[in-house]
Amino acid sequence: MATVYGKLLCIYLLQNDTCNAKFLWKRIPQAIKTANAELGHIWAVGQKMWQRDFPGIYETLKKDWSESCKDIMAAVLEATRKRAFLLVAQAYSSINADEFALFMGLPVVEAVKAAQKEGWQADPNTKLVRPMKPVSQPDPLLANEQQLSVLTDYVSFLES
Amino acid sequence: MANALEQYVNTVQTLSTQGNFSQLCDFISKSAEVLSKNVSHLDNVLATLDIQQHSLGVLGILCVKYSMPNIPDFETLFVQTQEFIISCNGEHVRYATDSYADLCHKFTHNLVERKQPSRGIQILVTAINKIQLFQAQLTSIHADLCQLCLLAKNFKPALQFMDVDITDISKEGGHYDSKDFLCYYYYGGMIYTALKQYDRALYFLEIVITCPSMAVSHVMLEAYKKYILVVLILHGKLSPLPKYTSQVVARYIKPVCQPYHDLVNAYTTNNPEELQRNVEKHQDTYSRDNNLGLVKQCLTSMIKKNIQRLTKTFLTLSLTDMANRVRLSGPKEAEKYVLHMIEDGEIYATINQKDGMVRFHDNPEKYNSSRMLLQLDKEMQKCIQLDSKLKEMDNEIAVNPQYVQKSSGMHEDDIPGSSKMQNY
Repeated sequence: MATVYGKLLCIYLLQNDTCNAKFLWKRIPQAIKTANAELGHIWAVGQKMWQRDFPGIYETLKKDWSESCKDIMAAVLEATRKRAFLLVAQAYSSINADEFALFMGLPVVEAVKAAQKEGWQADPNTKLVRPMKPVSQPDPLLANEQQLSVLTDYVSFLES
Repeated sequence: MANALEQYVNTVQTLSTQGNFSQLCDFISKSAEVLSKNVSHLDNVLATLDIQQHSLGVLGILCVKYSMPNIPDFETLFVQTQEFIISCNGEHVRYATDSYADLCHKFTHNLVERKQPSRGIQILVTAINKIQLFQAQLTSIHADLCQLCLLAKNFKPALQFMDVDITDISKEGGHYDSKDFLCYYYYGGMIYTALKQYDRALYFLEIVITCPSMAVSHVMLEAYKKYILVVLILHGKLSPLPKYTSQVVARYIKPVCQPYHDLVNAYTTNNPEELQRNVEKHQDTYSRDNNLGLVKQCLTSMIKKNIQRLTKTFLTLSLTDMANRVRLSGPKEAEKYVLHMIEDGEIYATINQKDGMVRFHDNPEKYNSSRMLLQLDKEMQKCIQLDSKLKEMDNEIAVNPQYVQKSSGMHEDDIPGSSKMQNY
């Protein structure tokens, strides 16, 4: 039972669904929580996610996870890093390299390297990173004929 | 005595085989008294009936078992109920929707009393799926399911029903109660609030407080309080309620919600300190109503609304300036708020850490993509469906004999073909 709870909690975190994770944590019986300290460790990550405290998330993620959660938690780390990267790209026109490293949970040198790989500019003198705006997703293509038939439906609806 | 039970079994078997279900329902409701005098033998009677073939007979016995003042062996009854819900014949039990719903209510009530809400969730989901005629039909069991989900803090099972807009209510033999309706939307509103789907929560709560009524309902009162809080969190202001809201709300409910109206007034000052003072003043009331968590979210919401308002005046603003204007502790806290709001799509802005400035942008949506078209398309489809549903309902009313009679001002005798005429 405890492993199922643990896995489900991990997966909610992977989806960044902190609401459902919170209520799952609340409904796990106390006895199971006490017997399985790992559940508490997983939820510690969840709490930091709830507060959107990125350095906190990376800190709480640094644990030896059990076999059943190991892979999911590794994915959580990846997803968090990706989310942080997108957020920085979206929200900053320039950011301090040290703070950027905190967002990414990486040493400064590595963080800057990762940023440069994405084509971002890093100025070693001012220690500032200049993120590039994320490229918007390509538009789904629509079939012309289908679109025309939809429009016909609208007009006939509006006129009646 | 044993004879009475034998007769019950025989009649159930005969009438079920004949398919004479209406008569069977009458018989079962008349037998309730006899059955309740023989409680100790009911399990033997159950054993002689087949759940599939004699669903109504089994339902009658289970209802009697639940109506006893105390239930000696709930575990057995739980298993019996579970088996019945899973394997009963949907066609048969539709003849007794009232008893079926009653069974579910009592089952829920017992689980709530025993503090085991999570055990009933899956069973009630099956129960609703079995008795509903179509997905958009509301049954009184919906409210039970929502209540169990809330108590078990497990909301997903209820969402599959709540996400469907209701267009019809199962009459359940005239037993459908307004309380079931109000409770469903109240609990549903709470579930959506807990999941932070405030839009939908507001819709559910609005249904509760705009329900036509002549008397004050406590469900309505509590829903009104939560409505105020959710509307502040979502929109930051209380708009007037729809015109069709019944007089009861203005006359009796509003006067007893003064602490909440004070909150609305404090919110309109846009001053977080004023709001904070008000929260401290009425803290006892809010926490007695179990609303303190939502009240605190109003505080955060006000700060966000204040930041949003800044975007209308400024193109760029320093974080320090922003912190002063919205009364935050400093540029770091301001940056945190802006970052969260950008991530949630609540403002469009970029932070420049080099000179500590925020630059605000217009909404980047140009409304020229095919994705937007698809979304528009979805909304249009919804409108078209709503329109046809409305027409259908309007037609139904227009041909309803009672309505025709009332609106044309005719007496029953004057209508050709009415039952009285035929008697003449």
